[in-house]
Order: sequence, then C-alpha cells, then structure tokens
Amino acid sequence: MRKDIVKLTLLLLTASVITAGCAGSNAPANGGNNGNSGGTGTETNGENNTQPEDEPFEITIRHTQVGESKKFRLAMLEDVVKQTEADIPGLTIKLDGVDSEVNRKEKLRGEMAAGKPPEVFDVFGSPDAALFAKEGLMLDLTPIIAELGIQDQFTTLDPFTYEGKVYGLPIGGSVEGYFYNKQYFEDKGLTIPKTLSELEQIAEAIKTDGKIPFAQSSKDAWIPLMTTNNLWSYYGGPEITYGFKSGETKWTDPSVVEGVAKHQEWVQKGYFKKGELGFEYADMRNQIITGEAMMMMDGSWANSVFRDPEQAGDMVGKIGYFNMPPVKEGDPVVVMQDANNGYGFSAAVADDPQKLAAVKAFIGNMWTEEMQLRGLEEDGVLPAMKIDLEKMKTASEDPLMQDIFAAVSEIDISFPAFDALVQADVNTALSIGIQQIIGGEGTPESMLETVQSAQESANAAEQ
Amino acid sequence: MLHGAPFFFTEVTMNKALRNPLTYLLFVLPALLLFLAFFIYPVFTAVYNSFTSWNGISQDKAWIGLGNYTTALDDAAFWQSVKNNGYFILFSCLIQVPVIIIFSLLIAQVKKLKGLYKTAVFLPSIMSTAVIGILWGFIYHPDFGLMNEALGLLGIEPVYWLSDRKWAMLAILITNSWQWTGFYIIMVLAAILSIPAELEEAAVIDGATGLQRALRITLPLILPIISVVIMLSIAGAMKAADIVLVMTKGGPAGSTDVMATYMIRYAITSFKHGFGNSIAVLIFVFTILITAAYQLLVARRVERMDSR
Repeated sequence: MRKDIVKLTLLLLTASVITAGCAGSNAPANGGNNGNSGGTGTETNGENNTQPEDEPFEITIRHTQVGESKKFRLAMLEDVVKQTEADIPGLTIKLDGVDSEVNRKEKLRGEMAAGKPPEVFDVFGSPDAALFAKEGLMLDLTPIIAELGIQDQFTTLDPFTYEGKVYGLPIGGSVEGYFYNKQYFEDKGLTIPKTLSELEQIAEAIKTDGKIPFAQSSKDAWIPLMTTNNLWSYYGGPEITYGFKSGETKWTDPSVVEGVAKHQEWVQKGYFKKGELGFEYADMRNQIITGEAMMMMDGSWANSVFRDPEQAGDMVGKIGYFNMPPVKEGDPVVVMQDANNGYGFSAAVADDPQKLAAVKAFIGNMWTEEMQLRGLEEDGVLPAMKIDLEKMKTASEDPLMQDIFAAVSEIDISFPAFDALVQADVNTALSIGIQQIIGGEGTPESMLETVQSAQESANAAEQ
Repeated sequence: MLHGAPFFFTEVTMNKALRNPLTYLLFVLPALLLFLAFFIYPVFTAVYNSFTSWNGISQDKAWIGLGNYTTALDDAAFWQSVKNNGYFILFSCLIQVPVIIIFSLLIAQVKKLKGLYKTAVFLPSIMSTAVIGILWGFIYHPDFGLMNEALGLLGIEPVYWLSDRKWAMLAILITNSWQWTGFYIIMVLAAILSIPAELEEAAVIDGATGLQRALRITLPLILPIISVVIMLSIAGAMKAADIVLVMTKGGPAGSTDVMATYMIRYAITSFKHGFGNSIAVLIFVFTILITAAYQLLVARRVERMDSR
C-alpha cells in the first residue's frame, strides 16, 4: 500500500517538475528581455557592471499617452525614445502605455508596494511622488538635473520635491481661469472684468438674459473647488494655503470663510445651472459649446476641446480666456499655476550605470525648450519649463492660445492647487464640504470647521 | 482501458490506492493550494493589515491595534454608508422581491412569446454597469430625462434625481433593481415551470381561481428559491459599489456612499490601506452577521416548511 502511495506521489512530482520545467524554459528569455524586472536585482546589476557599455539592455517607460486625444503627446514621446536609443549604444526602450487613472490608482501603486516600478514611469507630483520617495523607491534627480544644467529652468518643481531633493520632472504646466463665449460678450457689449464685482455684474447680466453665467459640474468636487480655491486665495492671500499643513493658518480664518461664502452666494443667486451637482466634467464644457452657459472656470488644458472642430463644432474660434480678477482693481492677479504630472524614475536605476546613462539621456532629450514648445504647439499644454512669453506666442497663433498667453503674462502671484499642499484626508473633507455648500446644506463656517478638524487630525497623524 | 497505462495503474493497485485517504488528499491538494493562495491568504492578510496604519506602499506596517476600527465606528459618514447599504437590503426585500414574484407568475402564465419576455427581462443583467449608469443618467437627466418628462405630464416639477440628496439614493436603488430583477425572475421562473402540471390541473378541477392557485400552490412551492433570491440580494446589497460609482460617485456630498465606496473615498485614494482593510473586514463581518441572522430566522423555517 505504502509503495503505491509513493509511486503515485512520484508520478505527481515528476509531472510537476516537467510542467515547471516547461514554464521555466521561458523565464531566462523573459528575464533577458525584460530588464526592468526589479527581481533580477543585484545579480543582474553586478553583471552589467562588468559588461562592456554597449551590451544590449532594455528599460521600460510606463506612459499614459493612450487614445486619440493623446496622440500628439505619444508622438513626442516616441521621438524622444528614438533619440535616446540612438544616444545610448545597446539600449532598447519598451513603451508600456496604461490609462492614466489605472496607472495612478492601481498599477503603479501595486508595483511600488512590490518595490518593482518600471525604470521610467508617469507619476503625479503631490501627494504620490513624495510618498514613493519617502519609501526610497524613486531616483533622486537632483544631481542629474544639476549635471544637465536644467535645475533652474522649471516654473516649479515643488510638487516633485521631497526633503529638498527632486524626484520627478513635470511634463507640462497649467493655469486655471475663465473660458468665455467671446461672441456673446461682443454682442452684449460685455468686457473682460477687472474686479470680482465686475465679474458678478457680468454674471447678473447673463442671468437676466436667461443664460447660465457659469458652467460648472460638481459631481467631481475638484471642479467647483477650482473656483473656491481662487476665491479664498484672493481674500486671504495665496500664502494662506501653505500654512494649513504646518498649523500656522487655519481653514476657519475669516478670509477663507469669505471665499467659500462668495461661492455659496453665487450658487444662491443662481449663477450655476440647477442640478449641476449631478453633472459630469464633460457636461460643463457642453454647456459652453451649446451656448447655454457663457463662462466656465477650468484648467488651461481645456483649450484642446475648444480648438477641436469635432468637439466644439461652430464654437471653434469663439471662445476666449481670462484670469479670475482680483477683489479690487490694481490688486495683484493671483492664479493657480501648477505642474503636477510628469515622469519619475526607479531608485534601482542608480545601481546600474547603463540604465542611469539611459535615464540621463532621456531627461536630456525630453526636457528641452524645443519639446516644451512642441507640446504647446501640438497639444496646447503650457510649458513646465520657463520659456520666454514671446517664443510661446509664436508657437501657436490660435486666438484662444493667445488669450491664455496674455492671461499668463498678467499673473502677479501664482499658487499651486490646494490639494498639492494639504493631506488627502483634508481634500476629502473639503470635497464633501463644497458639495454640501452647493447643495444648500450648512454654512461656510461649519463646513470649514469640519475641514479644520480633518486638517488637525492629518497633521497629528504625520507627527 | 488501463492496458496501456503504467504497471502500477492496474485495477488492483488502483483500488488499494483509492482506499487510502491520503490519495484523496493528494488529488485535492492542487485545488486546496489555489484556495489557500487566492482566498485564505488574502483574507488573513486583510485582517492583519486592518490592525496597521499601512499606506499600501511601505515595507513597514505599524501595528495600531483597533485604531482603524474605532476611527470607522466613530465616523458619522461611515454609519451613513452602512445605512445606505441597509436601504439597498430593504429595497431588495420589500420592493424588488415582490416585483420579481409578480412578474415571474405573470410570465409563467403567458402562452405566446414567453421566450421574448424572458429575454427582455434578462437583458439588463448582462449589460455592463457602466453602460447602465450612462443609460440611466439620461433617464434621470433634469432637462430631457424620461423620468422628468413623465412626471411633467402629471404636472410635477422636475426632480433633480442625481444631484438632490433627497432623491439620489432612491434613483440608484431603482436602477440597481432594474439591472438585477430580470436575473432573479429567470431563477424564480425556472422554479415555477418545474412544478408538476398535475397540481395545477387538479386545482383547476377543484375550482380554484388563478389567484388562489398562485397563492396556495405556486408560491409555497417556490419559497425555497425565493429564499435563495433574498440571500443573494442581501449579499449583493452589502457589496454594492459599482452602480454607486457610475451614477453619483457617492455624492452629492457623500450622501449615497455605501461601505465599499466609503472605503475607496476615505481610505484607498488617501493611501490609507490599513484603514481600507478594516472597512473591508467590517463589510465581511456585517455581511456574515446579516446572512447568518437571515438563515437562522427565516431561511430555516422555509426549509422546515418545505420538508413537511
């Protein structure tokens, strides 16, 4: 009996070994091609150190340029990849395209948890990059950008900076302001407002005319918060947001309350479409395109919609752009200007001279004035690097882009979006709060008290 | 059949081997390993993580005891989400199940085009939730939606279905029921159609009316399957998330959050995986408690009635 069992077990074992052997025979081939596998770790790196510099090797770039709307950006990336492959002997770059949301929320997080991100990956600055950097998973780019001489050429690297070191580079920048129906403004003799009260007068006039003053979709709370953030930054000064995390300032500050109260006042006066709490992001753009609404607070990235005949139809060329005006005429123009999305690099690259050289070449080819202007020209994305405004103006003759350039030139003080400066829990509390305000629940004071309480808990948790 | 097999696979040795319980264990082993790797291990990992402040990335997991659980249980928003799961259960049991029974009884009586009716009611359950979200988004649209058009004919003012917290939950419940009612109707219909025709015929000869036959004969005989439908509805209600995400994303202002979307909003997106795992464990515990209570209080009685 025992013999039988032994025989059966042996048979099973033999079968398992054969099956495993079949699978295993592919493994070296994969390992060889897929150089990004962090699992190969030090052994592979050790081999690479002793191998000649033009020994074939591969790196993976995880990008999010997927779909029709991102075809220009993908073409730019492909050109940079070709150039980098030509610069580094033996290098093959594998492009791995993943939807932005999937990459941010699932794939990259999983890879980070396993400690094996691709060599190059699309990453959001705040709060993601800081968290990955804190765990030692991202490559410190400070010496590389210093070597390439581009460390001072970015508008801001704050979202990608952790404890004084730079861990990622933004691919483009953006500002937030009002897109408006130029044709309507001309027909009604309306001019671009210079103060908040002028903006309110225009809104009142539009409402009286039976149109919607401001297109807004608040199903996603970050959309109305663009308006609120700009309002409290005018009333309390943009620096107020920097102090929430350190505890120097509070959400319950009267100036922040005033900003939220102004937003609430606009809701109560009927300046937004009723029921917009249930609308998707695309709905508010449709309100502008169909001529139902006349102004819309959005990021400069929305220009691509209004310049595309397939999306904007007859409205192409009829949409303009201006900054949210200050409270009093002559006060500094304060605008959200940020660059929170770009590329990060795996910390493991530092152990492999070939890969490090490839990453340096990639950075050198990607972050150039030429590529930044190309992004602006083809994709309407503002540069993340400091580029002379005159050069920007020549990059695109589109009237809407010219309006955006003009608005950028008027900015006196820029600030990052609040969610880059406070913890995710605070963002959640504020998101719930602004939807309550729009839905007619509670007061700005009580809502901000809840947010302040979330802020204090988040600050305490960090200490 | 065993002639070509290796020498130890003769009938005698095979019988000997099969008499040993260890042989069975060997056969079960592969499935058991998969079950351990993909079910038991993740469940225990989730339970362990729920006692930590893990951010989902770090190799260090700080043990914080019951901290995550007390945070959740002290949070009014969490209890709001539990309440919304409760609405899902109540709506399923009190409204959806009676509708399922009525439609099943009606379709069972249909003589012509029964297949068409069955297909028509089953169709929503094979559609993706994302598609259903878009479809019902149009139906609930405040300007041109079917619902408001219909209400307008009755002289009722437009209702802001998805943006007014008074209506948003109901709007989701209706959509969710629409999606799953057909699936359950097919189950109940199969039970009805399997009842021997003689019972029905005997009742007709005895002079029973249609309603009497439905209530006194069909309904008692399909009680076990209705019990299963209720169990599945409860389990489905407790893990509901996708329909909420596609319709309201838990809004307005978190008013339609269920436990699973609360977990996404307050934990996963904020890099608080330890907290997220504690919510997942709570969903698991609540589901077990409710289904166990249902089994003890209702389902067993039905089974007893059935066995008499």
